[in-house]
Amino acid sequence: MDNIVVGIVSGKGGVGKTTLTASLASLASNDEEFTPIILDCDVDAPNLAIILPPNSGVDPQKKDTFTTIKASFISDKCVHCKKCIDDHFCEFNALTWNEEKEVPIIDYLKCEGCSACKVLCPEHAFEIHPVKSGEIISYENKYDSLLIYGKTQLGSTTSGKLVSEVKDFAKHSPKFNSSNLTIVDGPPGIGCPVIAMLSGLNYVIAITEPTPSGLHDLVRILELVEQFKIPFSIVVNKADLKSPFQKKFKKYIKDTRHKILGNIDFDYAIPEAMSFAEPVVDYAPNSKASIAIKKIYDNLKKQLNHI
Amino acid sequence: MATKPVIICVTGGKGGTGKTLVAVNLATMFKNGGYKTLLVDGDGENPNTYLLLGGELGKRKEVLFFKPSINEEKCTKCGLCAENCVPHALLHVKDSIPVPILAVCSGCKLCYKICPTGAIEADYKTVGWIYELNEKGLDLLVGELKPGEARSASVIEALLEELENKVNQAETKYDVVIIDTAPGAHCDVEELIEAADYVIPVTEPTRFGLTDLIRINELISLLHKEFRVIVNRSTLLGFKNQFFEDLDKLHLDNLGNIPLHDEVVNSYCAGIPLMENKREREKMGPAYNAFLEIFENVKEWTNIKK
Repeated sequence: MDNIVVGIVSGKGGVGKTTLTASLASLASNDEEFTPIILDCDVDAPNLAIILPPNSGVDPQKKDTFTTIKASFISDKCVHCKKCIDDHFCEFNALTWNEEKEVPIIDYLKCEGCSACKVLCPEHAFEIHPVKSGEIISYENKYDSLLIYGKTQLGSTTSGKLVSEVKDFAKHSPKFNSSNLTIVDGPPGIGCPVIAMLSGLNYVIAITEPTPSGLHDLVRILELVEQFKIPFSIVVNKADLKSPFQKKFKKYIKDTRHKILGNIDFDYAIPEAMSFAEPVVDYAPNSKASIAIKKIYDNLKKQLNHI
Repeated sequence: MATKPVIICVTGGKGGTGKTLVAVNLATMFKNGGYKTLLVDGDGENPNTYLLLGGELGKRKEVLFFKPSINEEKCTKCGLCAENCVPHALLHVKDSIPVPILAVCSGCKLCYKICPTGAIEADYKTVGWIYELNEKGLDLLVGELKPGEARSASVIEALLEELENKVNQAETKYDVVIIDTAPGAHCDVEELIEAADYVIPVTEPTRFGLTDLIRINELISLLHKEFRVIVNRSTLLGFKNQFFEDLDKLHLDNLGNIPLHDEVVNSYCAGIPLMENKREREKMGPAYNAFLEIFENVKEWTNIKK
């Protein structure tokens, strides 16, 4: 049985990725056809676990990650030649000179662990080491499906690598082979973490809202998704927003002929469900929003049949 | 010597809380108040400030990034470059010329520096652009990452360099610089917070808003910066009461609350900042008045002089 991996992305933040992911996770977990695994790859701000907490009695498993490499300085070996500064060993400006002690100082926030200082220093006064970059947390959630998420150590400059690590962790979990669907909540943006998240996906849902920034960021994320050649469709959140921009938005959808998986109109059931930390399809199954999301889920299933 | 401008960084952790809304309107109020103002868009992945100002990006400068180029005639196929490349961006099979894998190259130039025969030459690729524009009388500096490129940090570095140049120019004596950041708490956001004197995290009264606020505050504290929060969509029901209780418990200073109101969405979609509106105060709604109060609080806090 193949495991189909579906990612939810948006470009713009705060348009409803996690809201949609949580509801899709609920629907898939309660669907006989699927044994899903749920991933939260928004490692800078992982929030899915708030809505999908561990099942009662389940202890989350934590694993530290060491995806960041940093340089360290061995003062005993330094002969104060200042070559590291004069010859510009570091392309990331992580090395500066302490005039008083006549030794280099490493700025750990800027250091990328490339090892240039280690290799180029004639006295071997630098070393590189992996350091803790964050953690991966996994547990059986309230639907008994596996939830895995990553959380970066602040200041560890590792978001993209941690995303890859979370996906690897999922692939190597014993449950992966018996699972037939992986739902991935993505980070906002189009940079390194998103690129890491997109690689290897079978299907992408791009969620947006009919505002100038919503559309602008949608265009940018789709450019990336198309580079990866992943089939995708669009979900429009706050679709009934009263805005002079609606016309432009609809024209874009019409002109590009992108597939719309569904529209979610504004519904107070969504923030309300969120305040009770529940997916809206559980909290208010008959609400306008829940009916829209169930329709999106059914449409998604049809799309996945083609893969 | 010219005095340095005060730099305020608007950030937030969570996406879509209103960072850009606050940055653009704050800059608009400073500009209209007679302060020499520069707005910097540091969300390289998705720069949106110019959209809220109803502008378009025009003339641009390229942000270049190193890429190794192998001179096959000089290469002795020794493999030293690949051996020392930490992110494995050079693929070397015995007795063959190494192949660069640009997607994972960190640009450290180590290969270029250690090749014994000088067979690795420095080439450059475009990873993004820097734009300088003036929209509705406001000076704007925008960094944009090229879609498909991962190195947004390089765009941010180039943007900060450009900012430094602009601030040091004699003819542009800025009183205040407002920086807008990407969501998240990654290196791009970190660099921009680092560059600022004051930091404003924008949040919303939801569980996600609170969780991400606590995380971004940790990062700001790690960088030893002073910060005060702004609560957007402050009238959103549901989690509101618990949110404001928790804000109190955490002893967080609050610059003001922006209520949910149509005037915000309308100005946003029309590409005219809410605070660009010149009508009398009495005719404007609660969000407008909230911004006026925030402006007074920001001035008092930062003590910015004209």
